[in-house]
Amino acid sequence: MIDPFQTLGVEARFDLDPDDLARRHRDLSRALHPDRYAGAPAAERRLSLSRAIEVNDAFRVLKDPIRRAEALLRRAGVPVGETAEPKPSPDLLMEMMERREELGDARRRKDLAAVHALADAIRLREREVLASMGRQFAASDPDTTKLAAVLPELGELRYLRRFLDEASAIEEELSS
Amino acid sequence: MALLEIFDPKAAPRPIGIDLGTTNSLVARVRDGKPVVINDCNAVALVPSVVHYDPRGRVIVGVDAQRLAVDFPRETIVSVKRFMGRGADDPETRRLGPYEFVEPKTPEEAKSVRFKVRDRAVTPVEVSAEILRVLRSLAEDELRSVGGAVITVPAYFDDAQRQATKDAGKLAGLDVLRLLNEPTAAALAYGLEKQKNGLFAVYDLGGGTFDVTILLLDDGVFQVRSTGGDSALGGDDMDRALAERLLQELGVPAENRPRELVRLALDTARKIKHGLTENDRVEAEIEVPGGTRKLAVTRDEFEALIKPIVERTGVACRRALRDAGIAADELDGVILVGGSTRVPYVRQYVEKLFGKPPLCDLDPEEVVALGAAIQADILAGSKERADEVLLLDVLPLSLGLETMGGVVEKILPRNTTIPAGARQTFTTYADNQTGFDLHIVQGERELAVDCRSLARFVLKGIPPMPAGLARLEVTFRVDADGLLNVTAKELTTGVEQKVEVKPSYGLTDEEVEAMLMAALDHGEEDLEKRQLIEARVEAERVVLATKKALVADADLLEGDEERTRIDEALAGLEEAIRGSRAAIIRGRTEVLDDVTHGWAGRRMDRAIAKAIAGKDVAAIESTVAQARGVEAHLAEHAGQSAPEGDASGTGS
Ligand SMILES: Nc1ncnc2c1ncn2[C@@H]1O[C@H](COP(=O)(O)OP(=O)(O)OP(=O)(O)O)[C@@H](O)[C@H]1O
Ligand SMILES: [Mg+2]
Repeated sequence: MIDPFQTLGVEARFDLDPDDLARRHRDLSRALHPDRYAGAPAAERRLSLSRAIEVNDAFRVLKDPIRRAEALLRRAGVPVGETAEPKPSPDLLMEMMERREELGDARRRKDLAAVHALADAIRLREREVLASMGRQFAASDPDTTKLAAVLPELGELRYLRRFLDEASAIEEELSS
Repeated sequence: MALLEIFDPKAAPRPIGIDLGTTNSLVARVRDGKPVVINDCNAVALVPSVVHYDPRGRVIVGVDAQRLAVDFPRETIVSVKRFMGRGADDPETRRLGPYEFVEPKTPEEAKSVRFKVRDRAVTPVEVSAEILRVLRSLAEDELRSVGGAVITVPAYFDDAQRQATKDAGKLAGLDVLRLLNEPTAAALAYGLEKQKNGLFAVYDLGGGTFDVTILLLDDGVFQVRSTGGDSALGGDDMDRALAERLLQELGVPAENRPRELVRLALDTARKIKHGLTENDRVEAEIEVPGGTRKLAVTRDEFEALIKPIVERTGVACRRALRDAGIAADELDGVILVGGSTRVPYVRQYVEKLFGKPPLCDLDPEEVVALGAAIQADILAGSKERADEVLLLDVLPLSLGLETMGGVVEKILPRNTTIPAGARQTFTTYADNQTGFDLHIVQGERELAVDCRSLARFVLKGIPPMPAGLARLEVTFRVDADGLLNVTAKELTTGVEQKVEVKPSYGLTDEEVEAMLMAALDHGEEDLEKRQLIEARVEAERVVLATKKALVADADLLEGDEERTRIDEALAGLEEAIRGSRAAIIRGRTEVLDDVTHGWAGRRMDRAIAKAIAGKDVAAIESTVAQARGVEAHLAEHAGQSAPEGDASGTGS
């Protein structure tokens, strides 16, 4: 797999500045986008398409904290993906189940405000987990053996994300 | 001067931009650095998108066709854009007009709706091509020679609809440089004319479609942040709502309505609607069996009728804002596009929705074509603009594969920046399964049956093995036009299988060729001529680009050997261009492509380094250092690297 940090020419770290990342993506797109090669020979057009795809793909990965963390772990040789990672703690599972039940109730009651409130609480927690992950990633540099310690939080982040996706689908359903 | 221009047989081909609308179409071009619409001899730019087939087999397009629509509703196709990319089994199509359809006899035929007009079967692609042909000849009257064309499509168009639009362009004999999203085109027109930076919403309510797009204009880069809308919502719906009221008032029972009368009521409704844009009350007369009836409608009455239609746009707008992750008050402006935004009630609604008065400095009906002309100019290599402007579009709808239980696995989510690619591995769910059934769908729903089906294909010949062992790698690639290309291969067997599928509700390339040939008087002969011209144009382009690069980037050549190979290939191609055999020209173009391949990759790396330079000095070195040769890059893209799939679904 192509290293997204390398593709975008940015440092391999978790706490990338989103604005810097977007600017880099924009500058690379300026140079590589197929529109720039509209008058070029067919081979060059194909090449520009492949590389523009690569750049867009890398940007998509690095924009998303979960996939960014995965890319960092993969670089360090830590297996990622839900089947490869340790099982989530029973406490987390229990808690998420309760939250989702509350979400389901709010949906049945068509209580949009309650859905917003639940989502906000989880978003707050997401921010905390992200900050903590940033600290862990920083601490594991240069000793990458410490990286595996990030895995439980990565797992938690996945649960939070799934919850937020569900919440936003319900928000959409209730407000349309 | 003018005479010279008209009689110059070698007039340089000029690029054009086309807004192929549901209701009206128009063509524009850039003159002296400014986009302008191209008028017909009556100084009218709008061509009604109406096509009439007369008894003698002639095709009439535009205003004349519109006049015939009342008397020949089934022989006159209006709003053909709504049928683009729709399958014959699509229940929606019956609702969209008084037409008769040809029953499909084969699955291939079922891929596209076909109208039955005067015992002929015509596809929406062919009908659209008729409109495009008229626009092309309008442009030719003014420019003598038309180069490439940019055709706009609603941002919401799915793959099938885009493919169909591109086919229509080809069928009309146009070199389609690019399909461009209508709202992006509109923003392009505004951004360049007025030098705006910031976050914008483009609200486009036309005749048949509604689009909303959130755009970031930043230092010359137009980036689509999100897009949404409804491909079946527009001024036509207002006409229908008002016509329904008129028919009720006339006492025509809903069950038994002559089609001609319905069409007449729709026409009257539209006239009243237009009148109500300027006036508070409009009177109209309508011919019904038994005499003429007078009707009057006030603006208040009209507004009550269209309220639910206009409110439907709000749902899509809120979703687009949410997808872009912004609130309405973060917008720097709202751009109005489409004839229906002339309706005062719509303007008020938009103002309320976004909390600020919308921009409407440019004609809402011309703005899309103007933007398309600018983009065509850029793609044709206009020097001034090429370095300033770039459009980054996104995928309007998620692309995915059907997996076990009819559930869709999303491969590329909506609003992914294009061009885009993704790869996913799947495995067998049954022992000794020897084939994979792949079903490619587009849409947001969870079940495949609720999404648009783009293509199905079967990958066969997998040797029997226990469930879960076979590894099928599916690769999706979406180009800058938003068109999808899918490849699949089985990884474990060592024997690589590759199936390439271009999902299409349009026509195959062969079908387009065949139709083009049939349309020409001396089929074979003309086709050969055309092919020769096309081969020469491409070859000349390659020669020019190579020579330019030899001046600019000679230092990137690896030794004299590479230089010699390129010089030889160049000389060979130039010789072929002077000859008259298309096959030889094409062959030698490929040879030149081949020998310049590695060098092209190095030049691209330099372009990248340059793009980054000045913005972030520290990173240049690392980027230059990591500029791998093109060989390494191609190897990765040939899929020889380890599969990345950790998300292994189940082939159904
Ligand atoms: N003065 C006006 N007042 C109200 N409606 C108008 C006025 N002028 C045009 N329209 C309406 O605008 C619609 C056509 O708009 P436009 O030409 O922008 O659509 P289009 O681009 O062909 O369609 P689409 O964008 O859906 O493909 C028609 O429904 C027409 O009745
Ligand atoms: Mg339009």
